[in-house]
Amino acid sequence: MKKRVLALGTAACLVIGALSGCAFTGGTGGTTAGESSQSAGASESVSDKTTAPAAGDQVLSVYANAEIKTLVQWAASDSQSSMVNNNAFEGLLRLDEKNEAQPALAKSYDVSDDKLTYTFHLRDGLQWSDGTPLTASDFVFSWLKQMSADATNGYSFIMTDYIVNGTEYNEGKVSAEEVGVKAVDDKTFQVTIKAPTPYFARLTVLCQFFPLNEAYVTSKGDQYGLSADNMIYCGPYTITSYDPAVGATLKKNDKYWDAANVKIENAQVRVMKDASAALNAYLANELSQVALDSSNVAAYQNNPEFKSESEFRTEYLQFSLSNPVMKNKNIRKAVSAAIDRDTLAKVILADGSSSSNGLVAEGMYGDGSKTFRELNGNLCPFNAEEAKKYWEEGCKELGETPKLTLLVRDDSVTKAVATYIQSELNKNLGIDITIDTKTVQARNELMDNDNYMFASTAWGADYDDAMTYLDLWTNGTPYRGSYQNENYNKLINDARVETDDAKRLDMLLQAEKLLVDEDVIVAPLYHRGSATLTKSNVKGLVNHPFGPDVEFKYAYFE
Amino acid sequence: MIKYICKRLIYLVLTLWVIVTATFFLMKKLPGSPFDAERFNMMSAQQQHVILEQYGLNESLPKQYVKYMGNILHGDFGTSFTYTGQKVSTVIGGRIGPSALIGIQAVLIGLALGLVLGIIAAWKHNSGIDYFTMIVAVLGVSVPNFVAAALLQYYVALKWGILPVGFWTDWRCSVLPSVALSFSATAMVARFIRTEMLEVLEQDYIITAKAKGLSPMKVLMRHAVRNSIIPVVTILGPIVVNLLTGSLAVENIYTIPGIGSLFVDSIKANDYSTIMGITIFYSAFYIFVVLIVDIAYSLIDPRIRLAAGKEA
Repeated sequence: MKKRVLALGTAACLVIGALSGCAFTGGTGGTTAGESSQSAGASESVSDKTTAPAAGDQVLSVYANAEIKTLVQWAASDSQSSMVNNNAFEGLLRLDEKNEAQPALAKSYDVSDDKLTYTFHLRDGLQWSDGTPLTASDFVFSWLKQMSADATNGYSFIMTDYIVNGTEYNEGKVSAEEVGVKAVDDKTFQVTIKAPTPYFARLTVLCQFFPLNEAYVTSKGDQYGLSADNMIYCGPYTITSYDPAVGATLKKNDKYWDAANVKIENAQVRVMKDASAALNAYLANELSQVALDSSNVAAYQNNPEFKSESEFRTEYLQFSLSNPVMKNKNIRKAVSAAIDRDTLAKVILADGSSSSNGLVAEGMYGDGSKTFRELNGNLCPFNAEEAKKYWEEGCKELGETPKLTLLVRDDSVTKAVATYIQSELNKNLGIDITIDTKTVQARNELMDNDNYMFASTAWGADYDDAMTYLDLWTNGTPYRGSYQNENYNKLINDARVETDDAKRLDMLLQAEKLLVDEDVIVAPLYHRGSATLTKSNVKGLVNHPFGPDVEFKYAYFE
Repeated sequence: MIKYICKRLIYLVLTLWVIVTATFFLMKKLPGSPFDAERFNMMSAQQQHVILEQYGLNESLPKQYVKYMGNILHGDFGTSFTYTGQKVSTVIGGRIGPSALIGIQAVLIGLALGLVLGIIAAWKHNSGIDYFTMIVAVLGVSVPNFVAAALLQYYVALKWGILPVGFWTDWRCSVLPSVALSFSATAMVARFIRTEMLEVLEQDYIITAKAKGLSPMKVLMRHAVRNSIIPVVTILGPIVVNLLTGSLAVENIYTIPGIGSLFVDSIKANDYSTIMGITIFYSAFYIFVVLIVDIAYSLIDPRIRLAAGKEA
């Protein structure tokens, strides 16, 4: 009996020992979130988080629906990272409450008469959050970094397409000195571009164009940006803690040039992947703003806290021209004309999305008085009768009634859209299509290997100009339907060098018509909308329709 | 005993090697690449080359495998594809804590509640309390933990405002997820204890103990409970592994930065190095816990001998 007691005791000790061993690491690892080499940052984040205020406190709290993957500027491409970076950094210009680019770190800029040289004048006394002076060479360093082969975010084109010798620098053919970015003196930053680009200055609001301090970044080596204390900031806020899976806490940056106009002291971005959990958190006053999915819009759309806006993001069907069936233009026309986009946006999605009349999103820059969309009208109208005619015509040309397979990614919204398309094509063309649902990675591989008929895919604007959409179809890759049209390429290439804004705009309008209306390479479906609830005491929290998402700078509590 | 443990440890390494090899080649068969296709296509040839080189993806598969095995022998699990620049060991290390904390709390709650319920149910066999316990047990097993999690979140956190809805800020955040996770453990432990104890209570030595005039409480605690506890140790292994390795649904509902969601996300994103890292961690942990359970078993019950050694 005694032996058994002893044995039982030992076993219990073993189990409890194992458990408490875990519990210990669990306890520390859990609350500090991110142990190991970042002890300083970790302890900081503990104090931060334990004092993290509950409901009603004056902390601006928003959420990210996916992990904040990286804060390293030349590696980040996701919207969560750019939301955090945009609040902690600043470019030469910054978007204001009306989504217009206003002078920020640059107090002004001049454009030369040939529209090829931009001279930015930095503000006086600019400082990094650690007190280091911020100079024009900080821009040279970060822009060169973004153009170099080290940049892994896939956004180098946004500079190399425009800046003189950018592409050559990327390929290692020229030295840094020959690239068209120059610090004339500490406060003057000069950029030379290849061709007149009316929206070039507006590009500098994007995260890729933010400055970085060379001495600091180099001294941190590969640790730069991995934790909050391995970074210095130049925006309205500094980041006090960062964990990809937990989120980031931000504190007002006293060294920011416009600190007097930043009203909220503390803000946080919390990672919440479950939409209904986020809504619960909002209702429990733990979030200042929440995005609604379509199932919740009906219940809240009469709520005074409700707001819905259109984003610069278009979901569309991409046809593959190398597919024998989709090569037939009538088939493509039939599919495009057979889908009632109004019902799709208002009934099926009902989340603030709007039906698309073209590829370029609603609200994007046109000629200054009218938007691009208003100028180009409806290029893909719904017409069931026409669709049926095109279909019969197409079948005659093919000599058979083809079976269609639609490739979609496996998220719930896209699946609903695909089912709707299936029913529309059944109703209006009398055909049954197969829906092939794949993970994003698998769908991309099929598209890259030119192994699809038509696929649902989306593009969000990188900047506020139609070019961000239209130049995608000039490369003729399978992903873009293997579209090769000399006229189209000419329009885009001419528009790239055209100095006259009106002529340039006209070329882009024509290009979109060609792509959507005449050649029907894509069938735009809807422009994604965001439906949000914002606490009534939070004012001035701006949601930009492209680029960096939520802007804290102008927000205040009432 | 020592010999036995050594033998088991060698098996552990062998099993791990098989798992790692199989996972490595199966994983590479996953469609797609670890890079965002749209962004990757926009990179220049130079950049694509640099990034492939950086992750060693431009070599043949056998070469990659040999290199990877060499690296893990040196304790280097590589760099995550999703979290640029972060070491896989750091990423996983940061995520184990929350899952483990919640898992341990759930195991403790489950054990304590399960034991009490099971003992009462057996002691008051066929009474109202017995039926009640068994209904609770059936519910605990059959209601998925995400339903429990969502209900708890809605009522306790949102309606009554007692605990936070989610996030991972202090210990209060860990209460609801632990409770939600503990339901199935409670139910399992309760059922096992009840069944075993009913059997034990029929044994001659219990009657002897009663006949000797021991108080019912002493009979229960000294003889019945102690002898019924053995099967619980058996199921404890899987329960512990299950709870400590994280639950995707509960982690997502309560926004816990745990390892369950990391695993699923890494597979979705083809984050090769993270998939491998977590697979190795999961398997090693599982094998280790099973070993511990086996050892504990022999200590509790002398009838079970691990190796036919001289001890017998």
